[in-house]
Amino acid sequence: MTARDEILGRVRGGLAKGDFATRRAQAEAYIAAQRRGPQPVMDVSRQELAARFQRKAESLASTVEVVADAAAVPAAVAAYLARQTLPTTAVSTHDVVGLAWAGAGLEVVARPAVDADQVGITGCFCAIAETGTIMLLSSPETPATVSLLPETHIALIKVERIVATMEEAFALVRTERGELPRAINFISGPSRTGDIEQTIVLGAHGPCRVHLIMIGAQS
Amino acid sequence: MATTRHSQAMFFQARAGEKVRDKVLQRALQKAKPLFSGKRGQAMVALADDGMDFETLRTACEEIRNRVLNDLDVWLALFEERAKANGAEVLWARDGDDICDLVIDVARRHGVSKVAKSKSMLSEEAHLNDALSAAGIRPVETDLGEYIIQLAGETPSHIIAPAVHKTIEQIEELFAKEHGRPIEQRTSEDIPAMTREARAVLREHFLTADMGISGANFLIAETGTASLVTNEGNGRMVTTLPKVHVVITGIEKVVPTLEDFATLMRMLPRSATGQTISNYVSLLTGTKRPGDSDGPEKTVFILVDNGRASLLGSAYQDMLRCIRCSACMNHCPVYFSLGGHAYGWVYPGPMGSVLTPLYTGIANALDLPHASTGCNQCGSVCPVKIPLPKLMHRLREDQNEMGLRPWSERLGLKAWAWVAGKPRLYRWLVRRAIGYLHWLADDKGRIQVLGMAPGWTVGRDLVAPQGKSFHEQYAARKRASK
Repeated sequence: MTARDEILGRVRGGLAKGDFATRRAQAEAYIAAQRRGPQPVMDVSRQELAARFQRKAESLASTVEVVADAAAVPAAVAAYLARQTLPTTAVSTHDVVGLAWAGAGLEVVARPAVDADQVGITGCFCAIAETGTIMLLSSPETPATVSLLPETHIALIKVERIVATMEEAFALVRTERGELPRAINFISGPSRTGDIEQTIVLGAHGPCRVHLIMIGAQS
Repeated sequence: MATTRHSQAMFFQARAGEKVRDKVLQRALQKAKPLFSGKRGQAMVALADDGMDFETLRTACEEIRNRVLNDLDVWLALFEERAKANGAEVLWARDGDDICDLVIDVARRHGVSKVAKSKSMLSEEAHLNDALSAAGIRPVETDLGEYIIQLAGETPSHIIAPAVHKTIEQIEELFAKEHGRPIEQRTSEDIPAMTREARAVLREHFLTADMGISGANFLIAETGTASLVTNEGNGRMVTTLPKVHVVITGIEKVVPTLEDFATLMRMLPRSATGQTISNYVSLLTGTKRPGDSDGPEKTVFILVDNGRASLLGSAYQDMLRCIRCSACMNHCPVYFSLGGHAYGWVYPGPMGSVLTPLYTGIANALDLPHASTGCNQCGSVCPVKIPLPKLMHRLREDQNEMGLRPWSERLGLKAWAWVAGKPRLYRWLVRRAIGYLHWLADDKGRIQVLGMAPGWTVGRDLVAPQGKSFHEQYAARKRASK
């Protein structure tokens, strides 16, 4: 008997239930219903979602700035990099490479990140106001390495893409993509560890700095 | 059972004494204790800001976990089908030996010489690192705490803070040796530098490992997805860079939908570290897609029984709801007196006191169900409402029914039961016992050696009974109220 049959046999023996087909149909109906659990009560006007997203993201040690439109992004990034005394070269995902980076004195290349890259710039699929989280989907145009390997991660967030909860974010993936990509990464601030004497240190294995630029919000 | 030979749970009493006297360990534990319980408490109170509350949320989480367990065969079948449809391979392991055989086989098929591991408690159940090393494959633990423990040649003493028992001096010594440099005098101000040092060493391993191994916090049946929750980002690394990814997880970890996952994620980080969300939450579905530049070419799920299926339909099924948050040990006075190693197997604290006897044999962990003050802090903070003290009591009853308790204890309980059925005799004996205890006590009312059971007063004094007995007070109040 294979391990699979043996284990499933033990599971069925313990449950002592028959009629697999009916129970399976019930399980599939449960999945199809997409039932939500207790939801946070929050103001879901666009302005309030943006304000909450910013507040929560800052509480998780991300830095946040607000710009009026996409055209203002390259200058904001250049100013941030200068403040942090970081290089003016960066790797990015394809969705944001089209901005006028050169005009702000930056050299931005869209490709998967390598260990030597110091700055990674990405967009995001959407952002979640409840927790101050950004949601990134992996794809050939948006490799997961760009938000992972460089010490500094700069993410651009269009305010109209800020949703209330993780459930809303999943709903958006279902309508816009239909299926899940290889990796969905929810990112909430810089990488951290508390494993040496419970002292929190930012920059364990992922980025030490996460800078979020919200596009289209009124500050 | 293969796991039994590795369990040290029979030495709990001896180890407990050793741990209580270990001053370095006690210092580390006392530092950690208020952080864990304080942060969780604040996080739960703050739920009210969003119109949510702990009881409602944990009831919802309990329901989700029960829904899966009550039809686990169905949910496993659904998960397996959908994971395979996404291109993953699904393998099954009866026990720890099966886990090791399967992982080594996958490694050999893909020419793997180095494995980068994100934290997996199942790999601890299997002693996978020993098996990999013996097969000539180098396992590298990449969670900072696990890395420290691996360098020390120890096992984790906490399920989410594996090195909670280590002090900065001990860690500095390990780092200096492994990283080939002289020992420095380290203080808490140097912790960021130590973390950077480990980051650089481990980055190299991430980039050169052929295989990544991780656990999964949950398996999502709807999409055939593994979810991974980390703060350090090592979970992302081992599932993004190496060409092979092996997920080792228990069969009980399935949840139905993405919505259910979202509900559980409101409880897991809050219960574990008091965070509203962990830094990285990844949902991994299948393998690298056409055109993708990163992600594994091969994804393998190893679904592990190792004792879990036998709890279904038993008096202990509730235990399978566990989501491994560690809130129970973080609030346990016994855990914080001893640390995790005293428990002798993979899982410490209240959840370990239930799981170790159930997974390694009741007769092989006799002391653990008694390692409880009965305070029920564990039960009251559990995010999936596992009645931990009740399960420990049930295990004690099982020990008794199996004839595993010492004859003196069994005789004593029988005698007590006989006396308790005779109220007048009982009251008379209580008065005599009180008199005896007062006679034993010194002038400060403390008993230094308890005559009939001297074990109770090794390392502590017993306080002599104060005031009147419960029966006397009850009778007096009844008279007064008439």
